[in-house]
Amino acid sequence: MRDPTFWILARAAGLTAYVLLTLSILAGLIVRSKPFGKAVRQPTVIDLHRFLALLGLGAISLHGLALVLDSTVKISPAALVVPGLAPYRPLWTALGVLAAELIVLVYVSFALRRRIGARNWRRLHWITYGIFTAATIHGLAAGTDSSRAWAIWLYVGAVGAVGAGTAWRALTSGPAPRPASHSTTRPAIETNQLGGNR
Amino acid sequence: MSTFRIHIDRTLCSGFGSCAELAPQALEVGADGIAGVLVGETDDPAVLDAASSCPMAAITVEAVEEAA
Repeated sequence: MRDPTFWILARAAGLTAYVLLTLSILAGLIVRSKPFGKAVRQPTVIDLHRFLALLGLGAISLHGLALVLDSTVKISPAALVVPGLAPYRPLWTALGVLAAELIVLVYVSFALRRRIGARNWRRLHWITYGIFTAATIHGLAAGTDSSRAWAIWLYVGAVGAVGAGTAWRALTSGPAPRPASHSTTRPAIETNQLGGNR
Repeated sequence: MSTFRIHIDRTLCSGFGSCAELAPQALEVGADGIAGVLVGETDDPAVLDAASSCPMAAITVEAVEEAA
């Protein structure tokens, strides 16, 4: 009889990654919108936002590893990085691979934000909405548990929470603040810089 | 002991406010929603955390070595 351990692990890790990604996005929305005012410390939420994303990446890695080790569906290591190589529901698994790769890109971009420019980093961060959409479709269409009531409620809850957080952001944030004058700026310090890429 | 010189690129700052919470004696978010420097130089290393936590990388901290 086939050992289902890795198959179960793959499903659990995939769902865990989705939950962690959702929580990371919600933390990011809290950083931007500050719905709790001074009751929540910004540095703490920024750290939480990044930590949840890192945990999510760990869960995604476990999801992929378990799928390779499992024999229910033949998935090669290459199929974990090349969208469309997996024989099982190739379009929907390709969406998952693409979403995972983009999460890595967005996560790494924080550390590289001085190099790529903060504005590019911010533009890159908008991809998160596409990642969340792709991950949701991937989970619903390729997930074994998607027809179960608890799984449906999980997806509904995640989409609802991110949708509500985004609506709150749109209603409260407005345009990004701009300084009234640039006269107080001094030339950027080129030498002996600290405080970045630490 | 090092003294730290702080510079904020106000064109980058988006008013997240993390810096002012980490180093309130050196940085604040003004009424315009943009961070500003309260003291040009400080010996408080908290400004390093403030710079590294800024999502927009708008804060640069320079270590100024003091003459012996």
